[in-house]
Amino acid sequence: MSLNIDSIAGAFYGYVPFGDIVFYFTEFSLIGFIIALFFTLVVYLTKPEKQLESQIGDFGDKLNYVSLEELKIRRLMAIICGICTAFAMLTGDLFDYALFLAVIGIANMGIVSAVKKEGVLSAAFYYGIIAMISTLPLFGASALILAKTGTLSILELAKNSHDLLFQKIIYAVGMVGETGIAPFYAAKAEMFRAPGAPYILMIHLSSLLIIVRTVEIMLNIH
Amino acid sequence: MDIIVPNNIYHVVDAISYGLYAFLVGGLLLGFHRKIISRIQGRPGPPIIQYLIHTFKYYLKEISIPITAGNPLYIFMALMGIIVWLTALYLGAVFKTSLLILVGLYVLQKIVEHGCGLSSGSPYGKLGGVRSVFSAAAEVPLFAVVGIIYILTQSLIIKDIISYQLLNGPIIFKLPFAAFAFFILLISKAPNSPFGIVKDKSIVSGYITEHFGILESLILISDAIAWFVLLWLFIAVFIGPIVILNPLLTLIGMAILTFIISIICALTPLLTPNHSVMLQILITALVIVDLIHKTITV
Repeated sequence: MSLNIDSIAGAFYGYVPFGDIVFYFTEFSLIGFIIALFFTLVVYLTKPEKQLESQIGDFGDKLNYVSLEELKIRRLMAIICGICTAFAMLTGDLFDYALFLAVIGIANMGIVSAVKKEGVLSAAFYYGIIAMISTLPLFGASALILAKTGTLSILELAKNSHDLLFQKIIYAVGMVGETGIAPFYAAKAEMFRAPGAPYILMIHLSSLLIIVRTVEIMLNIH
Repeated sequence: MDIIVPNNIYHVVDAISYGLYAFLVGGLLLGFHRKIISRIQGRPGPPIIQYLIHTFKYYLKEISIPITAGNPLYIFMALMGIIVWLTALYLGAVFKTSLLILVGLYVLQKIVEHGCGLSSGSPYGKLGGVRSVFSAAAEVPLFAVVGIIYILTQSLIIKDIISYQLLNGPIIFKLPFAAFAFFILLISKAPNSPFGIVKDKSIVSGYITEHFGILESLILISDAIAWFVLLWLFIAVFIGPIVILNPLLTLIGMAILTFIISIICALTPLLTPNHSVMLQILITALVIVDLIHKTITV
């Protein structure tokens, strides 16, 4: 298959025509997929850290534990987030990718929603609002691309030029809001203050991998 | 009787040797960086091999794990730093594969910083980790840089970018904004840099505060390889074959870059987290404007 994907994401190894949902494998997507799955495994195996908090206006430090009930729901959400991130690396369909992004956003909120801390919960709430608003440009851009080109397949869109600059910008804006990066990262960074290292780390990992993957998609389709 | 050694063994030995070479060169350059900063500040400073001495010393020290740590993440994060940068070294400098993969590996360094800080359970480590998340704004220009380079060269494969420069001259003259943004990234990765908020001394040692002994040594090894890889990448992508195809010239180029960065680090104060992020966002805006301009005009 002659594509410019080779010159962006490294060697193209093939694709799986899974109905409308096409997964394709490149050097980049395979590395991203393996990293996401490996981290999911590490998150599953890791016990949460006991966070030490210094007290303002008082002596001594407070040790925060993650209770078993809290651990279970947060670990589940982190694993869902990891699996979605891994498959978002492989998918060759813009709509699927947007869906994976939406699920990752929900899972990110789920990871911190069990933490009983006002600051963390309100940060999750603000992030949730941004993520919800961002679904409009994200899915809207997918719809615009479909309306203009008749396909959502990244492999098809990579073959010819379709003049998609405006749609790509909207799609990128959706991704920016959904992953909570600058200028929306303020709310998300506050979420990282919650105890429970491995689960919180999954929020960060998913965002970073998604950003790099979105750059790859934006360069591929044109 | 002749002993037949399979070719694969030679490849493994080559790979290990190159990894060791990158560590030694990176470590010496970081020692050189510290020396220059000391001289500018009017101190004699430690010997250039001090970074390597530190690494070996910590390697032999007893390991201790805090009771607050979340294992195996706490140990895994130190190892992951080495995995990330050795992978970047081989994929970049040896196989000259996609720049996008190297950017992906670079952003994993953020996960290492964040993970080290969070998994220790220490408030200092955690603050370093959270600052690392804030300073992720430094990575955004990197994506714009990747986009601009692709528009110019029509490829992100490092081998193709070097070939492009062989025909058209160094990219640094064609894309000065992109080169500047990448250079700022190098500065932000340097020790004692104005953007070094993750290892600010006001939070002890930031994300490595609670990593002792061999774990700290592993982080130092990965930092040395990271320095080598980032300098190599800058030279390969922006200066090109004139320098990168000759190992001696590459070493000289790395030393000159380290010298310039050391002077900047010595003469600038550490920015507050807010100012650091604001400045990086400003640079991001510059590069994104450049990217949009290039996209429209091409």
